[in-house]
Amino acid sequence: MSRFSRREFLMTTAGAALASRFVGSAAAATAPKTGGTLTATWGGFEPQSLFVPGGGGSSPYFTSTKVHERLLRLTADLKFEPVLALDIKAAEDFRSYTIKLRDKVTWHDGKPFTADDVVFCAMNYWKPISAGVSLDALEGAEAIDPLTVVLKFKAPVPEFFLKSVLAGKSGLLIPKHIYAGSNIITNPINNTPVGTGPFKVKEWVRGSHVEYLRNDSYWNPGLPYLDRLVIRWWRDPASRSAAFEAGQLDIGTFNPIPIPDIARLAKGGKIVAETKGYSNSAWVATVEFNQRREIFKKREVRQALMHAIDRQFISDTIFFGRARPSIGAVHSSNSIFFAKDVQDYPFDVKKAAALLDAAGYPVKGGSRFKLSLVSAGWFEENVKMGQYVKQAFEDLDIAVDLSVPDRATSLKRIYTDYDYDVAISNNSGSIELIPSTTQYYTTDGIVKGAAFRNATGYSNPKLDEIVGKMTVETEEPKRIALAKDFDRLASIEAPILPMVDLEPVTIVRADVRNHSTTADFMGESWAEIWLDR
Amino acid sequence: MRRIVVRRLVQIIPLIFAVIVLNFVLIHLAPGSLFDVMTSEQQVTDPAMLDQLRRTYGVDQPTWVQLAKYIWAVMRLDLGFSYRQNAPVLQVIMEQLPATVILMLAATTIALLVGVTAGVVASVRVNTIWDNLISFGAVFFFAAPSFWLGIMMTVLFAVKLGWFPVGGMRTIGSGHGAFADALDVMHHLVLPATALGLFYAATYARVMRASMLEVFRLDFVRTARAKGLSSGRVIVAHVMRNALLPIITLLGLQLGTMLGGSVVIEAVFSWPGIGSLLFDSVMSRNLPMVLGVLVLGSLLVAVCNATVDLLYMRLDPRIRVR
Amino acid sequence: MLALAADFIRRFARNRAALVGFVLVIVVIGIALSAPWLFPRNPLRIVGRPEIWPFTTSRFPLGTDSLGRDIAAMIAYGARTTLLIGLCASLTATIIGISVGATAAFFGGWVDELLMRLTELFQTIPNLIFVLTIVSILGQKIEYVTIAVGIVTWTPIARLTRAEFMSLRDREFVQACRSMGMGNLRIMFGEILPNALPPVIVLSSLVIAGAVLFESAVSFLGLGDPNISSWGRLIGDGRTLIRSSWYICAVPGVAIMLTVLALNLVGDGLNDALNPKLRDR
Repeated sequence: MSRFSRREFLMTTAGAALASRFVGSAAAATAPKTGGTLTATWGGFEPQSLFVPGGGGSSPYFTSTKVHERLLRLTADLKFEPVLALDIKAAEDFRSYTIKLRDKVTWHDGKPFTADDVVFCAMNYWKPISAGVSLDALEGAEAIDPLTVVLKFKAPVPEFFLKSVLAGKSGLLIPKHIYAGSNIITNPINNTPVGTGPFKVKEWVRGSHVEYLRNDSYWNPGLPYLDRLVIRWWRDPASRSAAFEAGQLDIGTFNPIPIPDIARLAKGGKIVAETKGYSNSAWVATVEFNQRREIFKKREVRQALMHAIDRQFISDTIFFGRARPSIGAVHSSNSIFFAKDVQDYPFDVKKAAALLDAAGYPVKGGSRFKLSLVSAGWFEENVKMGQYVKQAFEDLDIAVDLSVPDRATSLKRIYTDYDYDVAISNNSGSIELIPSTTQYYTTDGIVKGAAFRNATGYSNPKLDEIVGKMTVETEEPKRIALAKDFDRLASIEAPILPMVDLEPVTIVRADVRNHSTTADFMGESWAEIWLDR
Repeated sequence: MRRIVVRRLVQIIPLIFAVIVLNFVLIHLAPGSLFDVMTSEQQVTDPAMLDQLRRTYGVDQPTWVQLAKYIWAVMRLDLGFSYRQNAPVLQVIMEQLPATVILMLAATTIALLVGVTAGVVASVRVNTIWDNLISFGAVFFFAAPSFWLGIMMTVLFAVKLGWFPVGGMRTIGSGHGAFADALDVMHHLVLPATALGLFYAATYARVMRASMLEVFRLDFVRTARAKGLSSGRVIVAHVMRNALLPIITLLGLQLGTMLGGSVVIEAVFSWPGIGSLLFDSVMSRNLPMVLGVLVLGSLLVAVCNATVDLLYMRLDPRIRVR
Repeated sequence: MLALAADFIRRFARNRAALVGFVLVIVVIGIALSAPWLFPRNPLRIVGRPEIWPFTTSRFPLGTDSLGRDIAAMIAYGARTTLLIGLCASLTATIIGISVGATAAFFGGWVDELLMRLTELFQTIPNLIFVLTIVSILGQKIEYVTIAVGIVTWTPIARLTRAEFMSLRDREFVQACRSMGMGNLRIMFGEILPNALPPVIVLSSLVIAGAVLFESAVSFLGLGDPNISSWGRLIGDGRTLIRSSWYICAVPGVAIMLTVLALNLVGDGLNDALNPKLRDR
């Protein structure tokens, strides 16, 4: 103190005070504000239940992940961050993993979250119900102490794969003390789920909305920033547009409004269109050829039909530019496993015709052959794609009978009865290819009655072998090489391939902060979102 | 009189029975059962789990057993459990029924007010420009599909003029006072109720007009006029009361079609009622829910028809139901 | 006979609105018949840029829809669909209705009671839901939609037929036929039915209008046949674009409205012409 003159002291403190005012306001500009209500929606309908243990699609996934958390989460730059698991370490032989859990976490009803819950989930929920085939190798789970769990596997399990499962759609944590001894799938608590998450369900007004309140005993102090979260559903996109314009809606994930409306709403800067946040839930529109039909046993026929589809047209006209033609079997946003050097199918009608002629299906009496085309009617775009693909095939002198059934009939026709020649469907794959992408191509993906897997009946021992190796390969570079082999083979064989990679968009008001920060934003708990109002 | 009432109401029971059986058969015939939908959505493939779910959903028993069980349950006022919504059917229906009731009441009110008034005016000013305009309007709104009217009204009044919201029943997150809430619902109600009601308004206008004209010619009207009663009183007091009889019959009979119409209107305006619940349930083969809504709907219609018959008997003493 | 027909036509023509309706119906039929000549290619083909407004280019007088298909072509072919379904459905409904009503009236007793309960059953179930359920069961083909609509719209015809039969049943000429030894069926179809037909015909025209509205609602909700062009489906397709391209919804709606309007006017005219007692106008 004596070293400074009084004047200097005053200047420094004044300066410091002045500086701190600037620093303070700069910090205030980036420091999250607490409070407020966020009204959200997504581009689909109300779920059948707020939490569907077996999956149930995107709608219950959206509502349940605000309440149920997972051990890890995948960030936008593909790193795994701890949520309820502080550390996950693999053993030398990759046949067991030790999970260290976060301390002082409680369920919404006050009971503590412990290793027993994780053991229960692993053996009673994930393995039999939500993850299924992914955790085939899981032999046992043991709670070493209240905050440590060891998972034992009967074969080596790659680290990225396991973490992907734990951070993904099937890794939700549910309370043992509520679900033990009951039928998890039909337990009525699924309508008002109890989890560890930043939000608690307050009220579900069926047909309208669900209201969540802030969890005041959330394990991350200070979070969530929001006081209330409301998820609302509308039956049609035009209503959601109007709701944004009227200020009734703050954020909508997965193409909530008609794409032509986006430009109109973005004018004025109050509303923003965000494309980040979908890399771990990469949607594609697929076309598949039923291998049980004689005609599709010839690879050339499948390839010919792939060449007959103008995928740029589909991207530009049906998806209004919010999609792009796929290359290979993997979504182009998959920065780990996507490969460009695979067989591609540019739009070429002449080539398609030549391939069909060579395969033994020339034009006879004005037509080559007849096909039944089933386009699953759960998205409006699928209806249009069905109509376009029908026309594309008819241009090749193939007679097409188109049906666009409702969801129930589509699921039954495509995945149970296999009652189609060509089908148009969708898939939302994770970055990890096994099993969400591979189960469309492998022999063990053929499970009659289970949706969104191998319905074509395609069975290739060579492909099965590649995927089998990938399942137990623990070295990353070797794994990536195997994945590229898989992609190459799948693309040449073309039993089912994506036509277009969808680029879903999130519509959000400009004053909503900290959104779209993870690889699967819709499925995150939204604890860090805040409103700059 | 009471005996007739009781007899009329008792006649409803076999009707409901037949509705249940018919719809049970229909939904079972549809490809893709609820079981298929639920299991594929839940990604269940393990055979043991599938068997367990079959037992839980009750689809492991022969069809006639399922039907018998359902009828027995309905008689005890248990409409079953909807596994899709994870809640009892009756509860889900009761949650969403008020929205549809409000919509139908509003639509009927609009239809009556507009239709009856238009019909009276047209009949009083018969063969003038008013009559022609109203008749034209009546035929126009009768012919236009209600969902198309709804969309066009949305384009004009909600999108272009911004006077009304585009859809939904409420503005979430707004003031929660009961009065403010009611006003908010009414504001959302205008377009869908009008779209639904104009068709019936057109019908009532035409019927009212024809009915009024017929009553005008009757002797007792001339008597009233001769007695010196003013035109206005003659119309309101005597003519209308008689001319309203066919309207009352129509009112009761159209409940069924209005329920069907509300399905489309609820779809256009995202109105959270049982119309859209029913549509969703048919699409997902949710048998308990479809049966529940149809049973309740049919019960409502049957009771309405019976009430209309009885009301008609009271109002027109010349008629006696056999 | 000729005099009766001429008299009928004269009475019909006196109703100017009915004449307008009649002309409109002829126009719709004309468009439907001439569609293959006016638009030789499949109307569901994508032929141009999407969302072109009507009256802006001569190539697409009514504009194009969200996929780039010619709306004028779809309207023309949609007329075929509409008339086909309207006629077939109402034919189905009329056959069922007349059979039920005639049988009920003629035999009376428990047959009448049973058939009337059946009629009440079909009247109680909300129509559109029934149609949707039947279409979901049978499949999304134009034949099944027709059957479904027919099954749902026969009840008023049955009621009317029964009422007419009952009033004619006890007339003298029927008793005379019976005393002559004519069999029941012959009396029913040979003597009573021709006299009961006129009001039923009037009702049929309204049933056609109803069938058109049902089909458009089913297609609007997305359950129609995707292989054919339908006015209702056009409206349904255009819903997401009502802000920018609302003509996609407006044009087919106007078409439906004019057709149903025309049918109703014709029905009114027929009613007036066949029932000269109600000359009030």
